[in-house]
Amino acid sequence: MQLKKIIPLAAVAAMTCGAVAYAAGFTLSAPPKIAFLYFADKGDGGWTQAFDEARPKIEKALNMKLPFVENVPEVAGKITPAAESFINRGYNVIIGTAFGYSDTFKTLAEKYPKVAFLNASGTTNGANLESFYGRTYESQYLCGMIAGAMSKTGKLGFVAAHPIGPVNWTINAYELGAQQFNPKATVTVIFTGSWNDPVKERAAAQAMADQGIDVIGQHVDTPTPQIVAQERKIFGTGHHRDLREFAPKATLCSSAWTWDKHLIPTLKKIAAGNWEPSPYGAFPGIKDGGTDIACCGASVPKDVVAKVMAERDAIIKGKQIFTGPMKDTTGKERLAAGVKIDDGGLWKMDWYVPGVIAQK
Amino acid sequence: MATPVTVEPAPASPHRFGRITLDMRQNLPPWKQAVFLGGSLAIGLVISIVILAFAGISPGELAGELAGVANADSLRNTLVQAAPLILVGLGASLAFRIGFWNLGIEGQMMFGGIFATAVSIAEIGPPSLRLLFMGIAAALGGMFWVLVVLLLKTRFRVNEIIATLLLNYVAMYFLFHLLYGAWQDARSAFPQSTPYKPFERLNDIGFNVNAGLLVAIAGVLVAGWFIHMSRAGFYMRFISSNPGMAKVVGVPIQTVTFWIVAASGACCGLAGYVNVASQEGRLTQSFADGYVFSGVLIAFLARNDPIVVAVVGFLISVLFITGQQLQVFYQIPFTMVQMIEAIIVIAVASSEFFIRHRVRWIR
Repeated sequence: MQLKKIIPLAAVAAMTCGAVAYAAGFTLSAPPKIAFLYFADKGDGGWTQAFDEARPKIEKALNMKLPFVENVPEVAGKITPAAESFINRGYNVIIGTAFGYSDTFKTLAEKYPKVAFLNASGTTNGANLESFYGRTYESQYLCGMIAGAMSKTGKLGFVAAHPIGPVNWTINAYELGAQQFNPKATVTVIFTGSWNDPVKERAAAQAMADQGIDVIGQHVDTPTPQIVAQERKIFGTGHHRDLREFAPKATLCSSAWTWDKHLIPTLKKIAAGNWEPSPYGAFPGIKDGGTDIACCGASVPKDVVAKVMAERDAIIKGKQIFTGPMKDTTGKERLAAGVKIDDGGLWKMDWYVPGVIAQK
Repeated sequence: MATPVTVEPAPASPHRFGRITLDMRQNLPPWKQAVFLGGSLAIGLVISIVILAFAGISPGELAGELAGVANADSLRNTLVQAAPLILVGLGASLAFRIGFWNLGIEGQMMFGGIFATAVSIAEIGPPSLRLLFMGIAAALGGMFWVLVVLLLKTRFRVNEIIATLLLNYVAMYFLFHLLYGAWQDARSAFPQSTPYKPFERLNDIGFNVNAGLLVAIAGVLVAGWFIHMSRAGFYMRFISSNPGMAKVVGVPIQTVTFWIVAASGACCGLAGYVNVASQEGRLTQSFADGYVFSGVLIAFLARNDPIVVAVVGFLISVLFITGQQLQVFYQIPFTMVQMIEAIIVIAVASSEFFIRHRVRWIR
């Protein structure tokens, strides 16, 4: 797919950092030894656990063990020692799992040019460093469709972490998906200000249920909103992993990472010596190992599932859900008729489509 | 039916094996204190090694690995970590000495980082003096955030424990407000400021030492002189041991309190400055996370003595780096690492008991 589609912002950043062309490819000087740095606890129920569940699949495909360190927060003083203790033991492929590792990984990649660095949701790239993230709007759009179909009140909720591009695009995608079944559907967003704050997530989800919202979507790292949905006998849709594990009755579907689909081929390329890190980072969709839809709860009717799966096929074939004409909540035109959003526009997204009710 | 007769054993004498008594010690010489401290540390390590042995890690293997840890990278990382830990330890111990329970360390660090970044953004001062100005601004930022509480406490009798703790959240949301708004790096659209220029960074000065550590050492020396040798330090000891008498004989309690609390905030502000200017290179969301706990712990273990704070701050940093290494080498769970860290901290803390008390067994 369009892995090398230009992210103009990242391109500017890459150029100012002095990284020019490195199409020559990257070759390890020894057989690969691969290690993970996990942002949170490996059993966090969401983001980090998704990596820990991809790990055995990668281990099987590459026939080697992948050690890891848990709870490496987004601070240079904690990331550097964790990475260096692996590097000093001969590890030459380090996989990070947080946006906040970006700067430190850039520094480390320059200090250790013979080590390959990969970083999920990072923003930095280089001759031996590639950030990667998924086109999460695709799967969240499909979950939004199911939410729109299942809601009786037409009022959907969305518990989100921070108002940044990759979160804003999931919110917009959710609303656009819901409109496929219910053109009048609204999505009310609450930002918790944290990726992992079960207390605030609970309060937010409960406030939503009190307001008559009957399907709660989410882009936070814990399954708390789903658990609240189950307690309040309403529905929800999950993110990061299949959250039916926590709320089998409430969770209609989840937008779940398929990291092994992206990491196995990438790591094989690194091992074979023909890895060419993209200067703009890897950005796979459903097709190549971003997030896919884990579907569906027993209460979702078959015809709804069929329509969602048809949309999934269309997305795999190249459908871009952010295609103009598209206006924001203030009526300003964001995409002209027929224009598809580019990756720079996605990462910078700081606007919401009509129907989204957000604090910002 | 006959009730079986049970023969009660004779009650044991309460003093059959003698008694254990506690006496308060007066002044234990420093070398004896060090022996107690070292002994407790050894006991903590032995317990940890036994637990690790049960987890399948042989002590010999462990020693080999830990010897391998003492390389240049680990030392550098340990020293980098130690600088902010020492500064927050100082901040906490200064305030605790006069009974001002400053739990707002993180908020003061955030304001230190914010003020330093403001100097960078507004480009105040020539490049050669920029780092100095950022440091001064950071100290003022930390001071500002703690003096708000002092004002609340002296004017309105607001409890400073609650006020400092809760103002951490206000500081955090103010930081978020800047990072998601006016100060957001336009190039990445993520919550972080634009990177500092090269002359706004605290760099390595050789021997695996970062300039941030110099800030911490300067802080230790100034605080040490202040507490042990200055007139204000004498007043401070007077106030903490007998506030009533201090007032009667005319010690300027309010002035001393003001400056000590301000100095506490300044140390925390500088800790924030060291983190953003040496490690992060820009203002980020989480550079102050977790330092309230570390600061209070270090001040407690060091019994509020600045020189000891430097030693304890370094040891806590060693403990952290070693803990991470254990995870890397043996893939033991993070919770186990936390447990071992807790065992060692409790062991060291309990040495305090034996330093203060003489335990005697009287037969």
